[in-house]
Amino acid sequence: MKNMNLYSRGDKIFVFANMVLIALFTVAALYPFIYIAALSFSSGFAAAAGKVVLTPIELTLAAYERVMSEPAFWNSYKNTFIYTFGGTLTSLLIVIPGAYALSRPQLWGRRFWNLLVAFTMWFHAGMIPFFLNMRDLGLLDSYFGIIIGFAVNAFNIILLRNFFESIPTSFEEAARMDGANEWQVLWKVFVPLSKPAIATITLFCIVARWNGFFWAMVLLTDEGKIPLQVYLRHTIAELSDDEEFSSTLLSAPYSVETVTAAIIVCSIIPVLLIYPWVQKYFNKGILLGGVKE
Amino acid sequence: MSGVFLEGIVKRYGSLSVVHGIDLEIKPREFVVLVGPSGCGKSTTLRMIAGLEEISDGTLRIGDRVMNRVAPKDRDVAMVFQNYALYPHLNVADNMAFGLRIRKTPKDEIAKSIEEVAQILGLTEYLERRPADLSGGQRQRVAMGRAIVRHPDVFLFDEPLSNLDAKLRTQMRAEIKRLHKRLGVTSIYVTHDQVEAMTLADRIVVMADGRIEQIGTPMDLFNNPVNTFVAGFIGSPPMNQFSAVIEEGQGGLVARANGTTIPLPALEELRGAAGRDVVVGIRPEHVHLGAEEGTSAIPIELDLIETLGSEALLHTHVGNETFVAKVETHGEIGHLQGVNALHVKPERVKLFDRETGRAIGRAA
Repeated sequence: MKNMNLYSRGDKIFVFANMVLIALFTVAALYPFIYIAALSFSSGFAAAAGKVVLTPIELTLAAYERVMSEPAFWNSYKNTFIYTFGGTLTSLLIVIPGAYALSRPQLWGRRFWNLLVAFTMWFHAGMIPFFLNMRDLGLLDSYFGIIIGFAVNAFNIILLRNFFESIPTSFEEAARMDGANEWQVLWKVFVPLSKPAIATITLFCIVARWNGFFWAMVLLTDEGKIPLQVYLRHTIAELSDDEEFSSTLLSAPYSVETVTAAIIVCSIIPVLLIYPWVQKYFNKGILLGGVKE
Repeated sequence: MSGVFLEGIVKRYGSLSVVHGIDLEIKPREFVVLVGPSGCGKSTTLRMIAGLEEISDGTLRIGDRVMNRVAPKDRDVAMVFQNYALYPHLNVADNMAFGLRIRKTPKDEIAKSIEEVAQILGLTEYLERRPADLSGGQRQRVAMGRAIVRHPDVFLFDEPLSNLDAKLRTQMRAEIKRLHKRLGVTSIYVTHDQVEAMTLADRIVVMADGRIEQIGTPMDLFNNPVNTFVAGFIGSPPMNQFSAVIEEGQGGLVARANGTTIPLPALEELRGAAGRDVVVGIRPEHVHLGAEEGTSAIPIELDLIETLGSEALLHTHVGNETFVAKVETHGEIGHLQGVNALHVKPERVKLFDRETGRAIGRAA
């Protein structure tokens, strides 16, 4: 039998063009990371001379030694963990029940509440009123302020609400027949069935918290409470202004660039470690087999 | 075990009424099947009994408790869903234990119950598997196990076999019947499949357009349908129905239709009925190929023979009307090719008022 060609010439060109584009995007996304990693392991002189392109030049751990010898670095690292862990947990504890309530057809005024949540995605009071609000609530310069002030994310609520809405109602009904109340339906049925969606918003929360810079800079003046990203900025500013450091630039084994790169690499590692753990939920259809479609 | 009592049950969605005042009394340990075409209100009625739908009007009692405002969890009923609704993140044992754990049943009691029920349903070797790793029949059994393990007062089944293939459906039907015999729990079963209804039910409730058309035992419904709807719905193939006029014949009243004369049973209700417009109903099973004592012949034109094995369906024409007969083959169909008449006994002929569709008289 003659071989049938399932794809037309146009299809093949389309697929090829897509692959080229994806490859370009992948390189564009990966290169900055590779460059920063290479820079962090290079000597200060090589970095300042702009010799680093893809691999470390004059391989050294000097930048890391400099970073890790600073107690402030470890303190900011600890703070970032507190903000990330506390913030993500608080977010999930608010977002999950909120999304569940908004997904329930029996919620009184459901359309209004949904609209109200969505409204905050596009319109908000702005930076100054938010700052004044935080100040008046006594939440400046506090761990609690950073954690609770950004706990509710409308996008995550809507994302999870949509997922909850896609879960067949028979699961809820079966649980109710089994004796579960609303709270038990949520935590014993909906949450386990929504692992992919919850993993997604958890990752969003973790990344946003881990990289949180602007509001931490605005709301925190106490050096002991600043997160890693703010510490990074302070370090860059400090080293750039440090005349003694600048005068020894040619002889020093590290530079502003390599130290900055080393801090960035250190700050990326935890997120890189978490991602594979979360990613397994992205590809998995958790509802498989529960109901007969 | 408790009985279930529905008094004037109404379901409205806004201004749209879908169940129009149902009265039904289900005795303790009885197996009642609600049957009817799609959209007739049978599932809605079941869901109102379960507590998954609010009752707009009327009273629902389970035992001697009024349940209208009682939450599903407090009604002591268990439900088997059409799509199984097994928790996909839990294995078979955990699925069955779910309700017991919620009710804070002691662990050893849960384990014992699960073991017992798994044995009854042949699920012992699948207890560690997740729903995705089970076949359709096994999943359905788990769904039943989840209901049984709680020892509820009432079982509710919402078309539980409709997702299974024909062979498995027959098998599961027998299992459900056996289970009911063994457990003796009051059961209400919804289906649109009249074969399921006939084989499972102690009593069948035929519904149409949100109303009950008839309640009775399977044989009662088969032999004495109260109207043309029930006559057409119960039985496979359905009862042959065609319009006729009652006339005086030589030996009594006859129905004349399409040039054919069909002798009628001697019914009290037919006295002085000559000239009345009726619908004649004859079940496909109630005709014979040869003349027997007391039968009269209906001339037919054979159109098609459908062979079922031990039986065959003869698709024929009586005048302009189609007429289906179910006859025995005795292993071969050659003798059916030349059939040009079917024979029926007058007492097998059903009559319905042409205007109202209501049955006239009640034959044996």
